[in-house]
Amino acid sequence: MPSFLKEFFNRNGTLMGSLMLGLVLFWTVGLIILPQLSMLDFSFRPNLPPPEIGGPKDIYTLENYKYLIYGPEGGSQDYNAVDLKVFFRTLVAAVCVTLFNLILCYPIAYYLGQTKGNHIRVFALMLIIPYWINEILRAFALRIIFGESGVINTLLVGSGIFDTPFDFIRNDIALYAGLGYAYILLMIFPIYNVIESLDHNQIEAARDLGAPWWRIHKRVVIPYAKPGISSGCTMVFMLSAGALAAPQILGGPSSLWFTQLIYQQFNDNSDWPQGAAYAIVLLVTCILLVLALMRVFKVNMGDIGK
Amino acid sequence: MSAGVGVDLENLWIRFGDFVAVRDANVHIKGGDFFSFLGPSGCGKTTILRAVSGFLEPSEGNVLIGGNNMKGIGPNKRPTALIFQNLALFPLMKVWENITFSMEIAGASAKERRKRADELLDMIALPGQGDKLPSELSGGQRQRVAIARALCAEPDVLLLDEPLSALDLKLRQHMRTELREIQKRVGITFIYITHDQGEALTMSDDIAVMRAGVIDQIADGKTIYNDPATAFAASFVGENNVFRGKVLEVKGDQALIRTNRSGDLLSRISTANQGTMKAGDEAMMFIRPEALSLAPTGTQGDHFVTAKVNHEEFEGNSFNIFMEGDGGKELKVAIPNHGQSFDDHSGQDMTLEYDVNNAVAVPAGELAAE
Amino acid sequence: MTSDKIIRVSIWVYLGIFFAYLLGPLVIMSITAFNSPSFPRATPWECLTFEWFGALFQDERILNGIKNSILVGMGTVVLSVAMGLAGALMLTQIWPKLRATYYTIIIAPILIPGVVIGISTLVFWDRINRMLGLGADSFLSNGLFLTIIGQSTFIASYCMLVLVARLQRYDMALTEAALDLGATHAQAFRKVLMPFMMPAILSAAVLAFLASFENYNTTTFTFGEYPTLTIELAQKVRYGITPAISALAFMIVALTVFFALVNEANIKRKAMIADARKDATVGELAGKIEVPGLISRNPAAIALIVLLIGTVTVIGSAMTYSPDQCIANVQEQKRLETEKRIQELRDRRAKESAEKAAAEGAEGGATQTAPKPSNNSGFGGVFAPNTLQNEEDGAADEGVAGSSNNSGFGNVFDPNSIGNDSN
Repeated sequence: MPSFLKEFFNRNGTLMGSLMLGLVLFWTVGLIILPQLSMLDFSFRPNLPPPEIGGPKDIYTLENYKYLIYGPEGGSQDYNAVDLKVFFRTLVAAVCVTLFNLILCYPIAYYLGQTKGNHIRVFALMLIIPYWINEILRAFALRIIFGESGVINTLLVGSGIFDTPFDFIRNDIALYAGLGYAYILLMIFPIYNVIESLDHNQIEAARDLGAPWWRIHKRVVIPYAKPGISSGCTMVFMLSAGALAAPQILGGPSSLWFTQLIYQQFNDNSDWPQGAAYAIVLLVTCILLVLALMRVFKVNMGDIGK
Repeated sequence: MSAGVGVDLENLWIRFGDFVAVRDANVHIKGGDFFSFLGPSGCGKTTILRAVSGFLEPSEGNVLIGGNNMKGIGPNKRPTALIFQNLALFPLMKVWENITFSMEIAGASAKERRKRADELLDMIALPGQGDKLPSELSGGQRQRVAIARALCAEPDVLLLDEPLSALDLKLRQHMRTELREIQKRVGITFIYITHDQGEALTMSDDIAVMRAGVIDQIADGKTIYNDPATAFAASFVGENNVFRGKVLEVKGDQALIRTNRSGDLLSRISTANQGTMKAGDEAMMFIRPEALSLAPTGTQGDHFVTAKVNHEEFEGNSFNIFMEGDGGKELKVAIPNHGQSFDDHSGQDMTLEYDVNNAVAVPAGELAAE
Repeated sequence: MTSDKIIRVSIWVYLGIFFAYLLGPLVIMSITAFNSPSFPRATPWECLTFEWFGALFQDERILNGIKNSILVGMGTVVLSVAMGLAGALMLTQIWPKLRATYYTIIIAPILIPGVVIGISTLVFWDRINRMLGLGADSFLSNGLFLTIIGQSTFIASYCMLVLVARLQRYDMALTEAALDLGATHAQAFRKVLMPFMMPAILSAAVLAFLASFENYNTTTFTFGEYPTLTIELAQKVRYGITPAISALAFMIVALTVFFALVNEANIKRKAMIADARKDATVGELAGKIEVPGLISRNPAAIALIVLLIGTVTVIGSAMTYSPDQCIANVQEQKRLETEKRIQELRDRRAKESAEKAAAEGAEGGATQTAPKPSNNSGFGGVFAPNTLQNEEDGAADEGVAGSSNNSGFGNVFDPNSIGNDSN
């Protein structure tokens, strides 16, 4: 037995040590690493009926990835314009949602982090409560509001701003509002946690030295809150790019989210390898984007989840 | 006091990767002794304690408790109880539950445990405090609860890892006496870890002085103070003035040393080095501040030192004179205060005298950091 | 000083907008649960009704979904808290060189899209299932098993984060002290570490249950024969929404608020007891904390009581109140309005045709009734809301008619068309 394992069991006891090691291995290897590898492997295989799996036709192929780029073989178009468009639209929209959330949440996170008093607890509670409500129901609530005869349209038409109800759903406004809504908390909390630990004296000092408020934020608060900001942005971006419920409920009938394509491959077309390939593309692209941004902003993985 | 269980360390080596924390320690601790490991932080004394209590497996060598080899025996099976540096009282348990935790493990009933807790609370002079939480006690009270918790396990050997370091000075001095009394009362072996020479000297039967994983000297406090075996022991335990030089000649148990600054001086050779120290060796000579006295200025001889006074201070029980010393270190002289008049001598040369038996010569070596 | 005032006002305006965005949808959704129209809407207010709650409790699929959600939730709580705790403990003692890699691995599931986790779980266990030569109905392809496994993959990461925060404040010397006093590792874990971790374990469990209960993205791939509540809701919401869903949402909101307040009150109470304990013995304590004191110092408790009274009143009035009369009135009113409109329309058409007839009379009058305002599709006339459902004025007419032309989906998503069906 290697010495570090021996030391581990000495420290934790044989029973507790094995239990702990077993759970960690099950989680990391059995639930995280192997399924991802298995999906990667699967995405390179043709879609075969169960009896033929493992048979002579079960060979590695790039077909599923080619499909995303070139579309079906012998298709009328040179490129799979529909799916590619959805893919890029999803990424761009996720970035927009992330930025929207950042702009919306930074001030409130700053306010909560730097203000003392009893009402802060109440605000925190008010922030958390919507997050405890089912994701579907939150989307549903927005659908009621943005609907044809929803509150907003009633107000807009009633006050005479619009003479006809505006179709928020077809114009994807409801979708963006819903995605932003869904992940507010994930943006606020990391930023709040960091800003809370910022010594208020630093801000006072900057103000004392004559810095205007925007410069205080630019030179003092934002550099300090960078780990929190990047953590929040990463989570919001990954989650909105990977969202499924909100696009299904709030998306316009003609506009799809990339996850919906994956869903269709799995549930409607029963083409699992194709779906797996799409999922891999989504995962890898998102991770690369996030890693690139982390490199640009010089933050570590260790800051995520703080 | 011979009833207690002894502890032996045999050729004990403990390594962490390439780092050697304990180098070939050989210690015999008599049963019923109050034994201290004294050394600066990082010298390996806590590592030894963890090896004795079983949290650490030695890389080489053996730990014997009561003659039994403890190899492969976990901390929960050893007849030791450890008092942690931060005490490690269980924060969510009441005082009486803390104290009788070992009985809970052994399956004793709550009634028995209550009874034993009350006895121990009486012993540590905290009667009726059993229902409080540790966080509701003062530092000294927590200290005593930790001792009671360890004693409740009825160990053969009690291990204490700098348990007084978190207390303030007054309380620390009080607890020294108390600890010593408790040890005498229960009669078991205490192994005490400290970097405070005052604690070690006042409480211990025997002291091991440690430096960088090596045990320099094992002896009772008086011997270590008066007859240190190494330069480190001499400089770490108590204040000491050092004179560096080379041995000119050895006469019996005395050596004549040509010092770098103060001419040729005569000194007793420390017991441990008698017979090994010879002419031509690099040596260090130590004289305690209180062993120096004033002599008529300009007196010459092999037990007189002349130097310039830097500054003086009055400390109540003594006048302290600081003079230019060897190697950038000041030479300190403490003149007992009998109410005599005392002039300021700053900037003047003064001559000091000492009894050769109060000077001790050891081979040149590393000094303790200030 | 005025600029200070402006800043303060703008902060409050900002906060107002922010919380309106955050809470507004929930409030409006809750209101729709009590309004009688069969499409959930807050305006116009028609009749106070509780029938949607009744409809909810008669819905077999919802009830079954709740049952499955609870089963999945319990499984996920146990598995992910256990894995999260093991993961957190491992993090505190793993070899420093491996630490960063290990942390990345166990934190990654938070960032991996839920869809991807769902797919990978499905694909991986399907493969294991085939490797073991088990059939399609084996334990490994069971929807409950797959959903619990899939959800736990990332929920364990949340739990780990919660637990590691508390574990960092744990003094490892406490475990050593227990061992030193003769406890086995299991005893030290159970008697010392567990009680210390308990608050964090409870929050992790609550978090895990809520995360599991609301999860859609992962579950939608793994649920198999066991659709959870969220899955059922999504089906319903996608293919037609009724205020019964609002009713369910209202109940969840109310429960959430209730438990949040209970929790808040608990925290306050504990803080007070801790304060009191500092300078009082146990005996004094009992006398010190009186009920009025507790309430007067505790806004959360007051809110809790108000909420309780409110609930009792609502339930009480629900027992006795019957919206039938009101609904009948509204329907009568609608009928009258409809008739009036139809009458108007007829008049207008008659007038128009009369005019046309007059204008085209000379050409022989071959095209007799070609109603100009009608839509260019055949459906338009039938489904145009002003023929059947009239609380919207003419503006709604064009909007709905416009959308019905674009795609087949348009009708499904169109609120009025659903309204038509159920009216």
